[in-house]
Amino acid sequence: MIAGSMLSYEGKKRTVLLLIALGVAVWIGVDAAAGGAAHWNRVLVRLPLLLTGSVSGWPITGGFALNVILSIASMALATALGTMMGLATLARFGPIRVPAFLLMNFLRNSPWLVLLFATLYFLPFEMHVFGTTIPFPPFVKAVIGLALPTAANFSEVIRGAVQSIHSGQWEAARSLGYGTGQIYRHVIMPQALRRMIPGWTNLYALLMIATALATVTGIQDVLTILNTLLAMENERVIVYFYLTILFLFIAYCYPIAAVARWRERAVKGESL
Amino acid sequence: MFGLDYSWLADPAYQQWLLTGVVNTLKLAALSSSAAIVIGMLGALGLTLRIFWLDALIELFVEVFRNTPPLLQMLFAYFTLSTLGLKVTDPSTGLSVPLLSAFACAAISLSLFGGALAIEAFRSGIETMPRSIIDAARSLGYGRWARFWRIEAPIATRICLPGLTNILTNLFKTTSQASVITVPELMYYAGQIYNDTFRTLEVMILVLLIYMVLVSILTFAMARLEAFMAFPGYGRGH
Repeated sequence: MIAGSMLSYEGKKRTVLLLIALGVAVWIGVDAAAGGAAHWNRVLVRLPLLLTGSVSGWPITGGFALNVILSIASMALATALGTMMGLATLARFGPIRVPAFLLMNFLRNSPWLVLLFATLYFLPFEMHVFGTTIPFPPFVKAVIGLALPTAANFSEVIRGAVQSIHSGQWEAARSLGYGTGQIYRHVIMPQALRRMIPGWTNLYALLMIATALATVTGIQDVLTILNTLLAMENERVIVYFYLTILFLFIAYCYPIAAVARWRERAVKGESL
Repeated sequence: MFGLDYSWLADPAYQQWLLTGVVNTLKLAALSSSAAIVIGMLGALGLTLRIFWLDALIELFVEVFRNTPPLLQMLFAYFTLSTLGLKVTDPSTGLSVPLLSAFACAAISLSLFGGALAIEAFRSGIETMPRSIIDAARSLGYGRWARFWRIEAPIATRICLPGLTNILTNLFKTTSQASVITVPELMYYAGQIYNDTFRTLEVMILVLLIYMVLVSILTFAMARLEAFMAFPGYGRGH
């Protein structure tokens, strides 16, 4: 307890967390010695498949890597859509603001899974626009289906950030003869952008977690592959597979969420 | 209208399915929401005690449940809890059956997921409480318990309400994922109906509308509660 008394509160807490991690490691070792090693071996054999969708680990055709790609593509689309929607809800012109506001609320109040299903069935298999054929494979549908609720949430982040800028700045810029577009570009956005980053990062972590839902579209994401694999495994091994996938998500999402919180603290209390 | 065919809605069997689905969704949401609030309160209270090992355990719990997909948590509960020993022998058949039904698995994992979110929300609510109020109460001679029940708890509740609204709507929407583990809630019956009628578009529109209405009722009720509980100078009450 001498070491304990020298540590700060945070230090003690970290020690406990470290001990828990150590305990888990020991438990895994004991379990492996008691016959779990064979189970872990099954997981290890399948790990490249779970991570990349191909047995040898290359090329990337699915698995957890596909979840990551899906989340990045979806986030890019959501950022573009969300910016438009967010600025539209801030418009002074009613016919723009009201529909944008209704759409945002509709998307925010619908379950992600239901929206994903809806996108899956609403969007056609392919679309003909001006003689060119745009195909909608399940992956594209999953990107759109996940981007819609994310965009609505991002538009809230934008609205919050823009509204957190003191209204005096609008008045000052207007009195200097700036137009609305110019005020956004030169005055509001440079400041609001900084305040959006924590919300945006947080939203990305949420989106990554939600990519697990994409399994309903039938793409070869980590859950689809997992379900296919589990059909061939015995009851016991299933537990090890699930633990591995849970760990993959934590390992990817926790650092992102931690960065978001760190940025949040950095911009907290900043108001002008 | 718009080429949509809702004639299947006249079939009493489908009406019954939809109704059962809505009732089960409400049951699941009510059960997991109340459990999540209790877990959130216990967790946040535990954090205020500032016991380092308890703090570490709660933090671990929150991070694990916040950073994994709720769908995966439900699947994990559904497929592995019975393997890990939670099963009973059916006396009539002699077969070993899982102790927990799909509904119970969904309720448990949603409670834990919502609880983790609630702990976070309540913790930040307690943290933003003005220090001066506690000092003032102390200088007026309030003891530890009186201070908690009469000063800290009422204020923290009000500060936490907006965050709680977010969590409850989030949890309500997440109940739709229980359909994946065959819990007979709204989304599950929606699938049954469009597999039967092939009216996918119509069923999805109806289901989206039902969820919209239910979530709107929830947010409206919470907004009313916020307005009712509001006190001047703090949170959104002005």
